[in-house]
Amino acid sequence: MAEVAQHPPVVTTPVSGPLAVRLRRLGEIVRQVLRNPVTVIGLVIIVLMFTMALLAPVITTPNEPNPYQMPRDWSALNEPPGTPGHPLGTTAHGGDVLYGIIWGSRTSLRLSLIVVGVTVTIGTIVGSLAGYLGGKVDEFLMRVVDIFLAIPELIFALAIAAMLGPSFTNIILALAVVYWVKYARIIRGQIMHIKQNDYVDSARVIGDSKFHIYAKDVLPNSFTPVMVQATMDMGSIVLVGATLSFIGLAEAGLAEWGVLVSEGQVGISTGRWWASTFPGLMIFLWALAFNLVGDGLRDVLDPRTESR
Amino acid sequence: MTATAFADTTSGRSGVGLVASVQDLSIHFQTKTGMLHAVDEVSFDIRDGETLGLVGETGCGKSVTARAFMRLVATPPGVYAGGRIDFWSSETRAAGGGPVNLLTIPEDEMLGIRGNRIAMIFQDPGKALNPALSIGDQLAEVFYQHRSDELLDPLGPGTPAVVRRAARQEATRVEKILLKVPPLRSQANRVKAAVDDRVAAALADTQIPNPGKIMDRYPHELSAGMKQRVLIAQALACDPDLLIADEPTTALDVTVQARILELIAELLDRHDTSVLYISHDLALVRGMCDRVAVMYAGRIVEIGLTEEVFSDPLHPYTRGLMNAVPSSAHRRGALTAIIGSVPELIDPEPSCRFNTRCPYAAGVCRRLDPRFLRHTLEHGVVCHAHDDPAALAARPDEMPSFARVDDAR
Repeated sequence: MAEVAQHPPVVTTPVSGPLAVRLRRLGEIVRQVLRNPVTVIGLVIIVLMFTMALLAPVITTPNEPNPYQMPRDWSALNEPPGTPGHPLGTTAHGGDVLYGIIWGSRTSLRLSLIVVGVTVTIGTIVGSLAGYLGGKVDEFLMRVVDIFLAIPELIFALAIAAMLGPSFTNIILALAVVYWVKYARIIRGQIMHIKQNDYVDSARVIGDSKFHIYAKDVLPNSFTPVMVQATMDMGSIVLVGATLSFIGLAEAGLAEWGVLVSEGQVGISTGRWWASTFPGLMIFLWALAFNLVGDGLRDVLDPRTESR
Repeated sequence: MTATAFADTTSGRSGVGLVASVQDLSIHFQTKTGMLHAVDEVSFDIRDGETLGLVGETGCGKSVTARAFMRLVATPPGVYAGGRIDFWSSETRAAGGGPVNLLTIPEDEMLGIRGNRIAMIFQDPGKALNPALSIGDQLAEVFYQHRSDELLDPLGPGTPAVVRRAARQEATRVEKILLKVPPLRSQANRVKAAVDDRVAAALADTQIPNPGKIMDRYPHELSAGMKQRVLIAQALACDPDLLIADEPTTALDVTVQARILELIAELLDRHDTSVLYISHDLALVRGMCDRVAVMYAGRIVEIGLTEEVFSDPLHPYTRGLMNAVPSSAHRRGALTAIIGSVPELIDPEPSCRFNTRCPYAAGVCRRLDPRFLRHTLEHGVVCHAHDDPAALAARPDEMPSFARVDDAR
């Protein structure tokens, strides 16, 4: 550009590079999120749950050889909360409720992170191909998505998990197979909307390639609803996972909240409430916390959509 | 069909003195009820250094014509039904090369032309900037895209391949991380600094105060006028041969509009860029353009030097447009609107598209496409009435039979 020489040298302030700008923006978002007290409550619960999950080997003595399996104390069946050595009581099979809850948070964390990670990735790829390329690709992929959507989520996951045999890994697999469809739809819709924007034309007009426009203009502007949905799903996937393990699709005796609830359910009618109530409460808190944060995120990131 | 083939015979076909030449361009859109002829055998030339105004009402096809230069018409539903757009870039011309047809060259060649040899400014600056990128990052795109070699020049021949790839925006995620690590980092930073200098200079060119600060801003933090300046800076960054301005001031309020127009005029003068200026604002076109082409319902109906067209409008539609513009010459309340609205353009029969609204319409106007008639060396019109010079003076019910035109076909 010949004009460069004609101008006096322009000084760009070195203090505020793009990174600083980005951090400033992130700071703004965090501040806005924290302005909502309900979101803060959700965040606090999540932080506590995560801490519990991470510190599980420290605050309990891990059961050898497999710490994810609940230790059985056959000398202490159906002990109420407050029993020495079993602060939250034991199940009918001598499982320590506190141990189950603490290691259950670890199981839940693993479940939700893996399922959300895998489904968001698959959903983004499929949704992007469909939405960005359009035409026959879109037509084909969306018919595949329709097939998945035609079967109710829970029933579909249950069928897959049952087919693969009872194991927690299979539950994770089943949920991953079922849940990506939702993200594919969200991303596709967003991309079809975003690619109509003038700034996409504007990018084409300066000579950007199609893929570069996708990575720079289309995807970053399409992603916020996915982040909100993923946060919500971090909660609901644990709920569905617990449902599947409650009906016996996980290994027996796994330190998992659904398994624990199912072990305790026989005692509910005879007054032994603790074995089901405490893990049930954990599932409730987990799902609630992620929903609160998800709502808060939506208000900040995507103010135009009303909360459902 | 040569009947409407509106050859802009006012300039030579040799390519000397031309930047672009549109010939018989037809763009149709597939709709449920049939083919919509949005642009119908349009021809015109853009001469070196001139500003050509393309005027017409909403939906007459002027934006579609403009977007065709960038191959921006979405296909489907759009169909490039025929014709060509020849473009002489200063680069190929310097090398003694001929024109390229913008509609048929491969996509990778097109990428090298877009933003580099042909630039475009859009109507609504509020929508034309990516909300997720800072102004500086956004403008840097043009330089990375088209000037990566110049950016790497000062680094010398020993520059690592990774840095080169980064400057061409071909670096993968892993490589981007590598570039943050010391030995490569300093070189990557030098490229970045070189880009920043150019971006700041481009912004300064559009008289934006404090470009260094603006670069760190996001689009939502700027006013519409500022955003349009940023887009102008982006468009002119690579010194294009042709600028397509699609109603660049329509979305701005009047005071800002005036200043942006001044800026555009001044910059074009300095950069010596040819312009296709699209507008529905006749007064504005009169002030900005050297020549004017009037479009109606997908066709060009009149073209000529600005003074000629404004002092002696030939086509009834052009006259109608001018009567509908308020001016100091008119008395209050004397504005006349053109009766009716634009006809349906789905699978049209041969006819003059204006016949439904034309006060002079005769039988032939409903049956035959009018042809291009040259009035003076520069001034041409597409109208049956002008096939017979006496016709326009005659009253509508006394229109001649146009026998001569009929016989000619």
